[in-house]
Amino acid sequence: MSTSSLRKATSGRLIAITITLLILLSPFLWLLQMSFKTNDQILQFPPPLIFTPTLQNYVALWHSAFSASFVNSLLSASLSTALALLFGVPAAYALSRWSGRAKHALSFAILVTRMAPPIAFTIPFFLFYRWIGLLDTITGLVLVYTSFNLPLVIWMMQPFFDTIPVSLEEAALVDGARTRTVFTRIVLPMVTPGIAATAILCFLYAWNDFFFALILTRTHARTAPVAVVNFMNYEGWEWGKIAAGGSLVMAPVLIFSLAVRRYLVSGLTAGAVKG
Amino acid sequence: MELTESGIDLERRRFIAFALTPSLIVLFAVAVLPAIYLVVTSLTPFQLTTPGSAADFSEPFRNYSLLPGDPRFVNSLAVQAKLSVASVLFQVLLGMLLALLLNVPSRFVELARTFFLIPMVLPPIVVAVIWKLIYAPDISPVYYAAQALHFTLPALTSSVDFALASIIIADTWEWTPFTFLMVLAALQTIPDEYSEAALVDGAGKLQIFWYVTLPFITPILVISGMFRLIDSVKAFPLIFLLTGGGPGTVTEVTNYYAYLLAFDTNEIGYSSAVTVVMLLLVCGISLGLVWMGRRKEALA
Repeated sequence: MSTSSLRKATSGRLIAITITLLILLSPFLWLLQMSFKTNDQILQFPPPLIFTPTLQNYVALWHSAFSASFVNSLLSASLSTALALLFGVPAAYALSRWSGRAKHALSFAILVTRMAPPIAFTIPFFLFYRWIGLLDTITGLVLVYTSFNLPLVIWMMQPFFDTIPVSLEEAALVDGARTRTVFTRIVLPMVTPGIAATAILCFLYAWNDFFFALILTRTHARTAPVAVVNFMNYEGWEWGKIAAGGSLVMAPVLIFSLAVRRYLVSGLTAGAVKG
Repeated sequence: MELTESGIDLERRRFIAFALTPSLIVLFAVAVLPAIYLVVTSLTPFQLTTPGSAADFSEPFRNYSLLPGDPRFVNSLAVQAKLSVASVLFQVLLGMLLALLLNVPSRFVELARTFFLIPMVLPPIVVAVIWKLIYAPDISPVYYAAQALHFTLPALTSSVDFALASIIIADTWEWTPFTFLMVLAALQTIPDEYSEAALVDGAGKLQIFWYVTLPFITPILVISGMFRLIDSVKAFPLIFLLTGGGPGTVTEVTNYYAYLLAFDTNEIGYSSAVTVVMLLLVCGISLGLVWMGRRKEALA
């Protein structure tokens, strides 16, 4: 007997799991179905479970200021991801091949940026940005997100470099190649899956941010999460549009999370295990 | 080009320095400078509207001496404690039950696990929107159900008695997947032989859980609970969207109070002092966590 009788996938247990999953996801599914309803259908009692889905909420969003904030979110998340990778990947490689005092400074920085409440950073960032005129700019957001994603990149990439045998690089070095060439030509191609997973996680962290965007932007650089909230405050209670906005904000997250579910765990617990 | 042994070494060291320096500078600028700035600002009566107040160090500890006598600050600590303790307890308990339920070898269950993680990966503000819809009386399925059963529910998020509970429910929904994930990972390291041996000895399912499984996962229950405890201090989008700290100050946690002080009433100096105290509390918990992690390693 390879698995204990206590850990069998009996049909009773499978049904229990399915029911639990449905209950757990019901609030999420409620938002999703609401985004395809007209405002009349939303206010109808009892709520119609079978209805003709409409895309009118999404179309209305597309023609509103929301599309601009969606673009802002895309821009700031992807630019900051690219920058964090540009700085972080070589640093992770260097740290993986060389142990020095920088390692401690690094784990400290990871701990601080992960543990501290964002308000601790927002006050200094807000004042600094106000002083140099970076408030309400994409550049300002990109800077914040890059600096908070950098520890994550280093954290995520180091194990990938650790798995590459050093002998491979030494052989190339003996043949007269420079470290830089070895890094770009031999090592980097071997860690592309790791880079892809890290990039997606960085993107998600920047994309999910609400607090920094709320405080550091006003109108011009407003991101999608902040725009969704603004529906509630300024455009009355348009539930359909709010639900559609929420669904749009979570769409990339759901797609990407499925794509990197293998690495999701280490990314979500970054700073949790070591440090 | 011929490189000698020491040449390779030198070249390599240069590369490492080149690769590390930018990251270290950024990390220093992000992790250390703001902390220093925050502490310095907390020693001033800085208000954006009062010129010169940013560099006024005439009474450096005034903010800190005001804190114990500030009822809103003291209340915010109590609210934070209630919110944190309740939500962490629920998250650890429910996460453990979920992990026990899903700890079976099956293709279907493996796929299902991914879907159980959805609440945690959603953007926090979307989680807040989801619960805003659930708590809005005129469109919520919960209120429809209550109405169908001829039962009147109070408006949860604006009721003095239920506002904090409504935040706890939403927070528990969002973060139970985290404890579930951690506990499941721990459960999967328990060798099946242990429970089988207990089974042969005539132990019941409950006894096996109590004497075999639970001792195994206790460290991870504590650690994941501590992580949630630290993170619970950051709870912002839920409070911002669902209750705004109200009614009154019923759901005003320290983090939210610091936010209101700095960005609503412009009391930057005082808000910094509140934040510093909060940071110290978080650091204390983190140190406890590191200490426990070391002890766990020593025991293993």
